[in-house]
Amino acid sequence: MATFEWEDVKIEVDEDGFMEEPDVWNEKVALALASTEAVDELTEDHWKVVNYLRDYYKQFGIAPMIRKLCKQSGFTLKEIYDMFPSGPAKGACKVAGLPKPTGCV
Amino acid sequence: MGAPAKKKTLSFKDFSTPSTQLAHVAPEDMYPLPPPYHKLEEQPGFKQLTEQARETFEATLDDTMVINIPKPKSKEEEERLVKKFIEGLEKLFSRENNWTFLQPLTLSMEHCARCQTCVEDCPIYEASGYNELYRPTYRAEILRRLYFKYIKGGSWWKKFNNGDIELNWTLIARLAELSYRCTLCRRCAQSCPIGVDNGMITREIRKLMSSELGIAAKDLHEKGTVQQLEVGSSTGMNSIVVKDNCEFIDEDMEDRTGIKVETVWDKEGADVLLIHNAGEFLAWPDNPGCFALILQELGISWTLSSEVAGYDGVNYGLFYEDVQLGRVAMRHYEIAKKLRVKKILMGECGHLTKAMGVIGDRLTQATPRENAMAFLEEAVFSGKLDLDPSRNNFPVTLHDPCNMVRSMGIVEPQRKVLRYIAPGFREMHPHGVRNYCCGGGSGWAIMSQNNFTDWRIQVSGRKKFEQILNAFADEPQGPEQPKYVCAPCSNCKGQIRDLFDYYGAKEKSGLYYAGLIELVVNAMKNVKEGFIDWELL
Repeated sequence: MATFEWEDVKIEVDEDGFMEEPDVWNEKVALALASTEAVDELTEDHWKVVNYLRDYYKQFGIAPMIRKLCKQSGFTLKEIYDMFPSGPAKGACKVAGLPKPTGCV
Repeated sequence: MGAPAKKKTLSFKDFSTPSTQLAHVAPEDMYPLPPPYHKLEEQPGFKQLTEQARETFEATLDDTMVINIPKPKSKEEEERLVKKFIEGLEKLFSRENNWTFLQPLTLSMEHCARCQTCVEDCPIYEASGYNELYRPTYRAEILRRLYFKYIKGGSWWKKFNNGDIELNWTLIARLAELSYRCTLCRRCAQSCPIGVDNGMITREIRKLMSSELGIAAKDLHEKGTVQQLEVGSSTGMNSIVVKDNCEFIDEDMEDRTGIKVETVWDKEGADVLLIHNAGEFLAWPDNPGCFALILQELGISWTLSSEVAGYDGVNYGLFYEDVQLGRVAMRHYEIAKKLRVKKILMGECGHLTKAMGVIGDRLTQATPRENAMAFLEEAVFSGKLDLDPSRNNFPVTLHDPCNMVRSMGIVEPQRKVLRYIAPGFREMHPHGVRNYCCGGGSGWAIMSQNNFTDWRIQVSGRKKFEQILNAFADEPQGPEQPKYVCAPCSNCKGQIRDLFDYYGAKEKSGLYYAGLIELVVNAMKNVKEGFIDWELL
């Protein structure tokens, strides 16, 4: 565990930089996490992905299938990679404050 | 920071001697990749461990760190850990505590002739520029010297002859971390003239560390087997989530194939219980979708299980510990018994196939199991599927998962299928039992702590990426020609995805990857054309 600070944001993150306490996430935290993911700015499209991930996580306690994320957010996998260079699981989920995905995913 | 120890001069004394960092691999030490990935300056750099990480954890082995061992707080704690280690060492070499692996382990300890025939076969040792720390026999020799000193004992001459080693906390912390610098691919074991198994030695070191000192990779233990036995899956999916996901997969399959697919759950008395690596549902849903479709097309009575661990066939215990290995294996077998199925069909996953197929059944008389490669061979040549191989009109190569191919000898079925359904199939070199690991074996594909991704892509995955590029050397090199790497293993797919992402290989070279069964469905005449959709891969 480590402490990550960005502007006035101070959060606990794991060795991969994922949030340890997803409940304390807010939009400012998303901006802070985005700065670690080579995402300079969060556009409306970024927020669509992030909000979908947050809602799904609140309901099921886990990140959604990547295919479901694409289908229901309306973005192709390539578009998601363009927005979040480390991809949906390692990039988008991190910014959305989800814990690191586990298992062979 | 002090200068790292020089290569090829690393002694066994160095291993117990505290220093800032024992070994270092510089980008220029590694052999160049084929173009367009040959220019060092254009490659992603190798991130350094942070000062914070180095201060908090035992990070004096090399450039990376994957298990994050906290530094002992006092001299007393260090001494207690050393004592625990010696106890663990004694257990490792006693029949009652290690009936599973004692014999091959002892043979591997006592009979290595130090001929070094095996070392050239290690892709990590080679990729590191032959860095002494990663020589497979260097790691094994540390345990061997400890074995002769603390277990075997004997005269001063014997001790002298077998080489001395100083046991202290520095050695233990480094050895634990070093046991995660080998993917357990066992290519070295195969080349040993007398069958000494350095892969198994490494795995037994992990076992000692986990069972006795509680030191294990979080991804394998806490988030792996522990979560699997509590929640139902190492992915964190409970039964509600996995069912919901399968509903989505069924609908998606119908949209894209034109065939209505229905996943079956908990059907008692079905002929076949299908068990996937649960990562497939989340990351590669076409794979379980294709299994459902083909089982249905063949008219086989089948089911999935929604019981805890019943829908997740992974068994990470194989990589680090016997107790968890046994618990997970027994869960799978009990579920099959309860459902009264005739056989278990094991999904496209290498370590699952080995753990469930040949390791776990030393514990009990298990329901018969069939591997996915043999199942697909039978399906394809049964005459029940109407296939048009010309639909797979793109170059295809095959990756051999080590657990399934080298360790179990499942070599030909997948090739027979590919020779028939994929006109553009070509082998990598070498292949079959002489294959190279994807670089993410033994669970590494799911590990990315600190800067470990850099290491597992650039060092351990180097050989596989080179092989893949070479396999397609006669094709147009750009993205205009999509190229398919068939990797029938969830763990290998994770690593190959990371390799391609890291180097931007999809965009630069048109490299894609997926399993074997997707190619079968793509060739089925009653499936809508273009099931394999590059946009989705």
